[in-house]
Amino acid sequence: MAEIIPLTPGDASAPQEPFKPGACKLHPQTMCPAFGALRVLARIEGAQPAMVTDTGCLYGLTFVTHFYAARKSIVAPALGTAELSGGKVQEAANAAIAEAAREQHVSVIPVISLCVAETAGLAEELLPTEVDGKPVVLVRVPAYAIHSHPEAKDIALAAVLRRFVDRQSDHEPGALVLVGEVFPADPLLIDGVLRKMGARVLTTLPGRHVDELRLAGRGGAVAALHPFYRETVNVLRERGVGVVTGAPIGAAGSAAWLRAVGAALDLDEDVVERVAAEEEETARGFLAAQPLKGATILVSGYEGNEMLYARLLIEGGAHVPYVSTSIGQSALTAADEAWLKAHGAEAVIYRKAIEDDQAAMRHWSFDLVIGTTTLAAYAKERGIPSVYYTNILSVRPLFLAGGMIASLSFVRELMNRRPLYERMVEFFSADTAQ
Amino acid sequence: MSIQLIRDISDTSSFWGAAWVFGCFPDLHIVCDAPIGCYNLLGVAVTDYTDALPQMANLTPTSIREEDVINGTAGALVRTIDDLRSLGSLEGKRLLVMSTAESEMISADHTRLVARIDPQARFFWSRSLEQDEWTGRDRALLFAWEEYGRPSVDPAAAPGAPNLVNIIGPSLGCFNAPADLYEVRRLIEGIGGTVNLVYPYEGSIASTPRLAEAAVNVVLYREFGAPLAEALGRPYLFAPFGVFGTTAFLRDLGRLIGADPAQVEAFIAREKRTTLQPVWDLWRGPQSDWFATVDCAIVAGRSYVEGLTALLGDELGMKIAWTSGRPRRPDEPDNIEIRRRIHARAPAFVFGSINEKIYLAEANARATHYVPATFPGPVVRRTTGTPFMGYAGAAHIIQELVNRFYEMVFNFLPVEQVKAPAAPGGPPHGAPAGPPAPPSAETMPWTKEATERLNAALEQVPYLARISASRSLRLAAEQAARARGAPEVTVDLVEAAIAHGGQG
Repeated sequence: MAEIIPLTPGDASAPQEPFKPGACKLHPQTMCPAFGALRVLARIEGAQPAMVTDTGCLYGLTFVTHFYAARKSIVAPALGTAELSGGKVQEAANAAIAEAAREQHVSVIPVISLCVAETAGLAEELLPTEVDGKPVVLVRVPAYAIHSHPEAKDIALAAVLRRFVDRQSDHEPGALVLVGEVFPADPLLIDGVLRKMGARVLTTLPGRHVDELRLAGRGGAVAALHPFYRETVNVLRERGVGVVTGAPIGAAGSAAWLRAVGAALDLDEDVVERVAAEEEETARGFLAAQPLKGATILVSGYEGNEMLYARLLIEGGAHVPYVSTSIGQSALTAADEAWLKAHGAEAVIYRKAIEDDQAAMRHWSFDLVIGTTTLAAYAKERGIPSVYYTNILSVRPLFLAGGMIASLSFVRELMNRRPLYERMVEFFSADTAQ
Repeated sequence: MSIQLIRDISDTSSFWGAAWVFGCFPDLHIVCDAPIGCYNLLGVAVTDYTDALPQMANLTPTSIREEDVINGTAGALVRTIDDLRSLGSLEGKRLLVMSTAESEMISADHTRLVARIDPQARFFWSRSLEQDEWTGRDRALLFAWEEYGRPSVDPAAAPGAPNLVNIIGPSLGCFNAPADLYEVRRLIEGIGGTVNLVYPYEGSIASTPRLAEAAVNVVLYREFGAPLAEALGRPYLFAPFGVFGTTAFLRDLGRLIGADPAQVEAFIAREKRTTLQPVWDLWRGPQSDWFATVDCAIVAGRSYVEGLTALLGDELGMKIAWTSGRPRRPDEPDNIEIRRRIHARAPAFVFGSINEKIYLAEANARATHYVPATFPGPVVRRTTGTPFMGYAGAAHIIQELVNRFYEMVFNFLPVEQVKAPAAPGGPPHGAPAGPPAPPSAETMPWTKEATERLNAALEQVPYLARISASRSLRLAAEQAARARGAPEVTVDLVEAAIAHGGQG
């Protein structure tokens, strides 16, 4: 690890007044909710999305989907005033479905119905359920009703899962279904540990293939690694699959999670206990050095898994007084929120706006800001090391001892870059101050 | 009424176009009557890729929610404006409220409400459900002139000086605008013009009346901007492309601003020895011979399509296979047709957006060079060094194409690596039977049909990659013939080699 630069002394940054979130919530911090759905659906092999929306929405969503989700051609009907007010939405959707069905090797045609189509009204019973044997699945994701990008992922995944999940076969003993868009190495790490307990990862959703959706129905239990897959978990619960909430995060979190998985899959208790203790010991060995001790870090993203990262940073020794996310509060977020509040987090903000994050920036003095693009820019303008949560943290392993070591080492390195941030802001603010 | 289909949309809506114009004004704050997605995609996500701005700082949404769709958005709008005021975000700024597709869907016209809240504020009905970005930009430019400029201008006033020139057009979301603007400004100043306002890029609400001070307007794009120039009532020119197009532009502009013709000609002469010298050298060199052997397709804004067609086709003699401009004319291919054409036969160069790039990838057209020339698509074009317009644009494009030729030559040069000789006694034990026979020095006879099929297949391959493709196809077909013990190469063997992807 690089030489450690002295950080803000913990007591100097401890404010007296309690934190107040932004008085106004003017600029919501989330990618367009519908993009969450497109991202999950476009990545399925052979999926040919048909989008039902106006041209501005289509442009924006196609732009980010081509870049971030899948470089996949996308069809839509032209919907203008004439079509929307003339009762042509249904006909338009059908025309796009027919065009999507003309492609070869189509596994599913997700029909993504967005704000204006939902306002005009699109009746599911008037859509085909399949065209030439190609399944058609309606996914309703109006941004005005869904509120965040991660929650739309859940709605999209639940919609295709309902259609494809295997409801006939027996549950496979010891087979765990993971739910969450995680770093590709994470399921392998988890699988490696589960095998020591006589279990395994059956599949990870949202997957890349409809077969993975089918397979999920055969799981003995499902682990919702991210706390916003409420609908998805319900689909599997109805199918009789047991649910494990939380994620194998940090030392205590990993051990507790392994025990919960052991109970859900009815594994040998002694073996589970031994493996859980082993994992905890490895993690504690790394944490003993407290690599982030003395650092105050802000965590703000819109991916819905921010609380997991915050837990990890805290276990690494950091002070994380403020965590904000785009998702809403629910039963799935309760355990993480309680843990964070018991470990120094003073504010956990749901459905946050940039005004909340900026209030936190004024209230505390941070050594590192892990934020949305807007917040990261705001922090860089103040010479504070800062990175875009989505692009930088989501591309690293996170879970169990191995993931923890990778993520914490990276964060430590980021903080050592402070002089670069200060030099830039000194140079550019001198120029623009006039 | 039949339903029209869109594949990978190219032009966004008038709301986006208008917001990309109004967003340039630092003394204006925009409230868009929109759900959170419209705000994020325009103000944070896409504008970061088109303009490399972390976010549009003067844009705030009303964040329409389900209850607003049912009850109307007036409450959300009032709350948003109150909050902006309480934060001081509107101090020293004019307020503009814009409708979006969703607010238009529920007929949320706030003209009166906005006037009641603040007599200085304005409401802009975006017509987002029926108009495209180009119309949106034009309407926004005219709106700004009508609302913030013309009322305080004396219609009888003469220009501030005969050589004052406005540049109209560059705004957010315009591909490569900084480089083209830099070049056009350089050209104007080179013959003695003075740039008065770059609008809206470097404009503001406060400076809008100054549009009237210029004697001449240069409109950067054919796809929008001319209606504002018409409204200003002064002579105007479109920004130029190519060696000859730019020369004509300089002489025309010189006459309009009353420049001394000797000064104009002196500038042109100097340019030939400086900016344009590489064009002349590459033209005299072997590089220009290539231009006659390759073709290209151009998908871009109207200006780029016409400008590149003139430069590459008329001036350099490259074959222009097909073009499609924005806004698209009915006789130009839409994306469904563009995709079909690229899948059927990709030209050697394709200028376009990420859509064309995707179609090329789908077609596995590795011998085609893709050159970004328009949005959509994530590409940073914020430096001044990548112009398409003017003399510098001609030199830059020619230089780029020559470098792509070099790249192609490198990629398709045969690589005869020395392979380790096979172990004595044939393949290792347990290897599958029937290994391909080693290439023979002897020439293999081909049937007439097989040769014709080979030639037809090569016709589909861009010229420069053809030699390499012919070599690998021939090798694959002959190896298959030998493996089968056939005396000659037949058409079915060629088909198999083509299907196997042996063409490059």
